[in-house]
Amino acid sequence: MSELRIGVYVCNCGTNIAHVVDAEALLAYAAELPGVAVARGYRYMCSNPGQEMISHDIRELGLNRVVVAACSPRMHERTFRTACRNAGLNPYLCEMANIREQCSWVHSDRAAATEKAKALTRGAVLRVARNESLEGLTADMCPTTLVLGGGIAGLTAALELAEGGVPVVLVEKAEQLGGNLARVDLTAPYFYSARDLLRERLMRVQENSNVTVHLRSQLTSLTGFVGNFDAEIGGNGSSTTSVRVGNVIVATGYREFDAERVTHFGWGKLPNVITSFEFECMLRGGRIEMKDGRLPQYAAIIHCVGSRSAEFHGYCSRVCCMTALKYAHEIKSAVPGCYVSDLYIDMHAFGKGCEDFYRRSSEAKTLFLMYGKGERPVIRRAAAGDDCDMLIEVDEQLSGERIEIPADLVILMVGMEARPDAAEVAHTVNISQDKDGWFIESHPKLDPVATTTDGVYIAGTCASPKDIPDSVAQARAAAGRILARIAKGKIEIDGVFAEVNEALCSGCRICNELCPYSAIEYDLETRRSHVIPAACKACGACVAGCPAGAIKGRHFTDAQIFAQIEGVLV
Amino acid sequence: MGAGKLQVALYWGAACGGCDVAVLDTNEFILEVAKVADIRFWPIAVDGKYQDLEAMADGELDLTLFSGAVRNSENEHIARLLRRKSKLLVAFGSCAHLGGIPGLANLSSREAILATVYQGGPSLEPGSSAVPQTVTAVNGYELELPAFYPRVYRLADVVDVDYFVPGCPPAPAQVKSVLLAVVKGELPARGAVVGAGERTVCDDCTRTKSAKAVKRFFRPWEIIQDPERCLLEQGILCLGSATRSGCGVRCPNSNQGCRGCYGPAPGAVDQGAKFLSAISSIIDSKEPREIEAILGGLPDFVSFAYRFGLPASRLQRRHGG
Amino acid sequence: MSYEPRIVGFLCNWCSYTGADLAGTSRIQYPANVRIIRVMCSARVDPTFVVHALAEGADGVLICGCHPGDCHYSEGNYKTMRRYPLLKRLLAAYGIEQERVRLEWVSASEGQRFADIVADMTERLRALGPCRVRSGLEADLLTR
Repeated sequence: MSELRIGVYVCNCGTNIAHVVDAEALLAYAAELPGVAVARGYRYMCSNPGQEMISHDIRELGLNRVVVAACSPRMHERTFRTACRNAGLNPYLCEMANIREQCSWVHSDRAAATEKAKALTRGAVLRVARNESLEGLTADMCPTTLVLGGGIAGLTAALELAEGGVPVVLVEKAEQLGGNLARVDLTAPYFYSARDLLRERLMRVQENSNVTVHLRSQLTSLTGFVGNFDAEIGGNGSSTTSVRVGNVIVATGYREFDAERVTHFGWGKLPNVITSFEFECMLRGGRIEMKDGRLPQYAAIIHCVGSRSAEFHGYCSRVCCMTALKYAHEIKSAVPGCYVSDLYIDMHAFGKGCEDFYRRSSEAKTLFLMYGKGERPVIRRAAAGDDCDMLIEVDEQLSGERIEIPADLVILMVGMEARPDAAEVAHTVNISQDKDGWFIESHPKLDPVATTTDGVYIAGTCASPKDIPDSVAQARAAAGRILARIAKGKIEIDGVFAEVNEALCSGCRICNELCPYSAIEYDLETRRSHVIPAACKACGACVAGCPAGAIKGRHFTDAQIFAQIEGVLV
Repeated sequence: MGAGKLQVALYWGAACGGCDVAVLDTNEFILEVAKVADIRFWPIAVDGKYQDLEAMADGELDLTLFSGAVRNSENEHIARLLRRKSKLLVAFGSCAHLGGIPGLANLSSREAILATVYQGGPSLEPGSSAVPQTVTAVNGYELELPAFYPRVYRLADVVDVDYFVPGCPPAPAQVKSVLLAVVKGELPARGAVVGAGERTVCDDCTRTKSAKAVKRFFRPWEIIQDPERCLLEQGILCLGSATRSGCGVRCPNSNQGCRGCYGPAPGAVDQGAKFLSAISSIIDSKEPREIEAILGGLPDFVSFAYRFGLPASRLQRRHGG
Repeated sequence: MSYEPRIVGFLCNWCSYTGADLAGTSRIQYPANVRIIRVMCSARVDPTFVVHALAEGADGVLICGCHPGDCHYSEGNYKTMRRYPLLKRLLAAYGIEQERVRLEWVSASEGQRFADIVADMTERLRALGPCRVRSGLEADLLTR
């Protein structure tokens, strides 16, 4: 190997790093490390001048390795790799030392933090000395896209793609398309008909020859990698369809919270306590009435059923507040004499037009009663002489009084929750669920529709509770990402994968069963195992498991990790 | 001393003599060796004294095959002496190469070992308590014994070693090939393992290999084995996948699992740690209690995985190499 | 200078390393004794890394992976889990205290949990003192 010339760059990150880690001392320390040709600092290494500093030094000082001591590589590894690549240095010859998220932000003792930053930097320097130039591979990108779920998000995504000329396979578990939106009458805040929204989508899907719909079907297996997935779709009992797809959009939606779990509301026992979905059914039928057919004199709507609760789900289900106001409006117009009470914790009116909608609701004389989070309005049957069917007792926050309100009809705004089959879906497509069962996106702020599995996207409520505009936006975003990919034609496979050294492999086959992607094959002729680079995800299980040390984990080799271990133990 | 003949020495440190027997097991070949070499020092086979060694000039010996580990001060002293007197010093056999079976003593302590042997053993007279001393007065004389070190070392922990010949003992065919290589001057770069292969025992083993998923480990007597099939797949412990090739698969061919005497594979740093990883990888379970139950079938795993190489393990070796 | 335990941590990119980053973005404070090495999956952690770290002077080794069932690579963490019992036996044979090597599951959202684990492990290692393996090698009689 020719002489090592390592450039070390210490980022101050404004004061994020510099106010705890002694950046000057770190620079002086780094400059003395083996192989280091230059050590420089800057306020924001990720900025254009910062990146330019690196590029300049690579070109002018002949650097052949770069270490950036800064934030987490999960933030800016790509930034600095790109800077290196643009300056003519292989991007894998760049390492980062995480002295922000894992140092300056978590330690307050300046001396200890600086010592640790030195150790982490030394680890990166010793490691990068062992890094190797790596080149990626290219593979074909199959344009056919698989969309799981035929609700508003799935339909929107399918149409966006199909109208872009892309073949779409739309898989829906139920007997018909439409998802949860098909159970809704009108939408808030503008009272668009859900049926109209859906009908428009459904017609376009039916007319578009690019879309193949599988009803009563599920994805049973997905193997391969982005651009080259093999999907198996099974319909209950009937035969399986195999299809090659390039990308997958998961738009499997949500399930509503089971109101029976909230025993103090009496759903399932009191006949006139219904859920929001049951009320939608009533609205679609065109008549608001009690169980025995009478018109209600008093209606009450209770927010946050199953949501924002320590006992059930901690999150907010986002759509219920505005839907509740929609119900208040609809009850008032259908049954003008009905008194409507709205029991809420907070009014979440964040969307476009929503605050106006809220104001109009209060002007329309809906009685708003605020109760505390964690408190329990209790519903019980009224006595025989009372002029209402039920009584609701609630500790009203604004007046500070415990009050009792009459109700003939109670609508429970049940929240959204993850579907029970979400775990199976996640496992099949290899994505993760968070603690509430929602699918996890690649980055909650910056990458909300991609997942950590390349080629698998998520859209709509399966990722988290959201309203129709957001579901549609995500569906179009995912479709847009895929269209961009297809436009590129080929996909690039990372140069990081496992490689069997045939000179050391004795064909024991211990690695064969270790690969979750079936990326290792055994050749009966040569009696050696080898890895299929395009299918390898570089997890390293085979590398660690090989008893002969015959598998090299590119970019995470034994030599590199040993060097890093030695480096951090200064 | 014959003119132009190779000057050769063989020595045994903490050894059993098996490596010396392996040299003799080359049968008639040893007579060929005698034609081209003078054996100047070989305690088991040839009369001689340490003074003969001390009298030699530095580098006078062309080749020394040092078998056995370094356990006491005598072993160390002679190791250093032989290093000075030899052009080529070869760690010969598992004990010199890796520490060998004596190396398992490093799981105990000197005090515990001496107590067991000299003070607590069932064959001792009750009340025995005499433990060997380095100096003992006897009849007006001072009797000296080598100091028993607190742990076992491999040869390379003490002196620079030129080549390593693995095996317990090295296979006679390999002994022959090494001696021929020395005679012909065809050795590779210094520091190499010679007289061995470049892969693992699996490479030479003719048993069929397929998917490995083990639900139970068996002692050899607990199962009627399939002689055609990989032993590990049948749940019979075999270190072959983690052991350097070259022995001729003598143990699996005798229906016993490989015991690892040829040491780690060329690509491995620590034989026991690598085998630990491999054997854990093939356990067919995801449930912690079941995993523990399956592992319960492994008797004394550490001694098994490091039977020949404990002093050479990453946590015990004295120098990095 | 009083003894400060040095812990080498192997954290998987998708869950535990992200969880440790989350501790950072949340400004959760914990002792500065751990030095983290990123791997893509805890399954990459070869037992050889653990012994190498201890031999190089670490007082403890922390391995973190995703919770069982959540591994980004499907079942990598199960492979890590399977290696652990024998690794513990190895430590016992060397006379290395069990607390020095620890396997924990930390998800991407468990910043606090990561901090708590580091704080707990640091305290335990402080009480145990430096890892004897390192110092044991010095106590020999060889003349060189």
